[in-house]
Amino acid sequence: MFHWLEKNPFFFAVGVFVVIAYAGIVEILPDFAERARPVEGRKPYTVLQLAGRDVYIKDSCNACHSQLIRPFKSETDRYGMYSLSGEFAYDRPFLWGSKRTGPDLMRVGNYRTTDWHENHMLDPTSIVPGSIMPAYKHMFNNVADIETAYAEAYTVKKVFNVPYDQPDMPKLGTWDEAQKAVLEEAKPIVEAMKSQEVKEAYARGEIKEIVAIIAYLNSLK
Amino acid sequence: MDMETIRELQAYGYFFFTVFLVLILYGYVYHLYKSEKIGRRNYEKYADIALNDDITDAPVEKIEPIEEQKQKEEQ
Amino acid sequence: MQSSNVINYDYSVAKLFSYAAILFGIIGMGIGVFIAYQMAFPELNYLAGEYGTFSRLRPLHTSGVIFGFMLSGIFATWYYVGQRVLKVSVAESPFLMFIGKLHFWLYMVVMLVAVVSLFAGVSTSKEYAELEWPLDIGVVVVWVLWGVHMFGLIGIRREKTLYISVWYYIATFLGVAMLYLFNNMEVPTYFVAGMGKWYHSVSMYAGTNDALVQWWYGHNAVAFIFTVAIIAQIYYFLPKESGQPVYSYKLSLLSFWGLMFVYLWAGGHHLIYSTVPDWMQTMGSIFSIVLILPSWGSAINMLLTMKGEWGQLKENPLIKFMVLASTFYMFSTIEGPIQSIKSVNALAHFTDWIPGHVHDGTLGWVGFMTMAAMYHMAPRMFKRELYSKKLMESQFWIQTTGIVLYFSSMWIAGITQGMMWRATDQFGNLSYSFIDTVTVLIPYYVIRATGGLLYLIGFFIFTYNFYKTMTASKAIENEPQHASPMAA
Repeated sequence: MFHWLEKNPFFFAVGVFVVIAYAGIVEILPDFAERARPVEGRKPYTVLQLAGRDVYIKDSCNACHSQLIRPFKSETDRYGMYSLSGEFAYDRPFLWGSKRTGPDLMRVGNYRTTDWHENHMLDPTSIVPGSIMPAYKHMFNNVADIETAYAEAYTVKKVFNVPYDQPDMPKLGTWDEAQKAVLEEAKPIVEAMKSQEVKEAYARGEIKEIVAIIAYLNSLK
Repeated sequence: MDMETIRELQAYGYFFFTVFLVLILYGYVYHLYKSEKIGRRNYEKYADIALNDDITDAPVEKIEPIEEQKQKEEQ
Repeated sequence: MQSSNVINYDYSVAKLFSYAAILFGIIGMGIGVFIAYQMAFPELNYLAGEYGTFSRLRPLHTSGVIFGFMLSGIFATWYYVGQRVLKVSVAESPFLMFIGKLHFWLYMVVMLVAVVSLFAGVSTSKEYAELEWPLDIGVVVVWVLWGVHMFGLIGIRREKTLYISVWYYIATFLGVAMLYLFNNMEVPTYFVAGMGKWYHSVSMYAGTNDALVQWWYGHNAVAFIFTVAIIAQIYYFLPKESGQPVYSYKLSLLSFWGLMFVYLWAGGHHLIYSTVPDWMQTMGSIFSIVLILPSWGSAINMLLTMKGEWGQLKENPLIKFMVLASTFYMFSTIEGPIQSIKSVNALAHFTDWIPGHVHDGTLGWVGFMTMAAMYHMAPRMFKRELYSKKLMESQFWIQTTGIVLYFSSMWIAGITQGMMWRATDQFGNLSYSFIDTVTVLIPYYVIRATGGLLYLIGFFIFTYNFYKTMTASKAIENEPQHASPMAA
């Protein structure tokens, strides 16, 4: 039997595949039903927050910042309550990261403000002397892609039944409604910011990337 | 099916398939050494496939024409 | 057998992929050195606007070296080794020849678009799987073409039994195919919503599930590209270069199955103390330890192949590269399991020790093996002797020094940071603010980047040597049987 397998590439390949696929079948598949349940009170991201999340991904913030607080006293002291699986139920993709060149951001919304982020993104060392984080000035120029964020929210609602437009949940509505809601949501952030450019852009109906990412970071709690 | 049943099936499936694979692996070890001992096949000679690999070198085990056809069909 | 007297092995595709490996090696490692210096000197982030920041460049570095350099190396060796151990020339089948060339050019196109898209920040955020769905499809096509070539060549082979290297190539093909497909399951948003960017997509999995699939992929992409395919190479090139048969062919078969079975379970060790179920974390931890056995099975087999022939180590720099590669393989396959132990992981996770560990394997094992393979192939592909043994010697020592600087500094940096994160004063308050744990690492970042720079310099020496071998070296009459001929 064994020798036959060694000479028959097709069945050999099938054998190899069974052996390597085994771990995935046992380990990963059965948990899918169970793990995706959100904790109570968890809400999906608004369109503006999603746009900010896309900026976060575009600039690979997850290359240096984790979003996963491990259950140790040293971590809960530093970052807050440790992470629960259900808190990530609306995260597509997950953004746990694998390296903490900078601090964890899972609950950064609890202890940082719009003002702090604005200054920090312009010049990190002005807020945190010795910081090795680059400045992200281009976020003040680039316009956030609200359309794609809306498409994303719409997709997860349709395909994965993410509970938009349900009682006590964020409203998605039509594209027109969503645009208004985004402007509404961005308003307090823009007002809290100093940058004239951002304010002028907002007056024209444009949302800069920096506004979106601050909305996202503030939502991380 | 509720999660409990799935979990239980998963555990049984995992256990027995792992035992099965372990048996196969030891069966394979036995097969390798047995083949060599009774002179049916010496696995070590396959190491020469890498050493004598010019296109003019004779293959360590030549493929039969009929089987060659069968191989082609399988792909 | 009349006809086989005039047939020769055809290395045209192997040559193309060798050039690609060198090209992507320079790009990928160059970016790597650059971003390593960025960590020590943040001003370097501002050389190219938004396209020059560490965060944009990091996926380019990882994808560049993994899918550019290493994968090209793997393909190059397949198009070389595959023919030889199956004793059939690609030239015998115009169809496979065409597939091989198509495979190369399509691969280049996909890589080029990938580089542009990563610069532009088009990313799914998943590590080593950042490409968006249109490129994923391209990757799948490239991969299928490789499979067609592989199984096609196996189909017309003269050698009945598949040599162990071919086993490992088949496993690489299957493993990466499965992992890549499942990890990149995503829904293009444009086709559902009819608006937004057409190439944007959203992952099929959410949160913890997504993490699980990602690290099942992330760890095992490492397994099947950095390990399985490189073992395929060393099982061919070390015996061939040294003229020694594999120490125990039976052991090579057994460790193959062991590796296939165990490796996939170990992915969970990336998620220890995360929110995935405990039993999976434990499983990841245990199987990582078990993984030492088949890994060392292969590595020891390689070292024992040189038994009684250690003199070659002195005479032949190629043997030196490969023996050091196996040694680094042993080293990183013991380091990995140690980091998977829960208590060690609690300290090491999220610190610089992890990239340190990765680079032990990639620089020491994968990099050295790939370069040794290309040195071995060069005289056969170009019918010329290797240009300079002296350059190879100096390259070896420069790069080895680079690796030592790299991992020693990252060990210290990682453990220092891990300890500082958890340090408390007598009242139980945290002793250090986060930034304290960053500034303290700057000297180590400088050492690390310099280690990387030395390795890159070595790679330039390799490139020069390879280029001179192609163009200016002495021609040889017959294909060398074992040790590669080289000029002093």
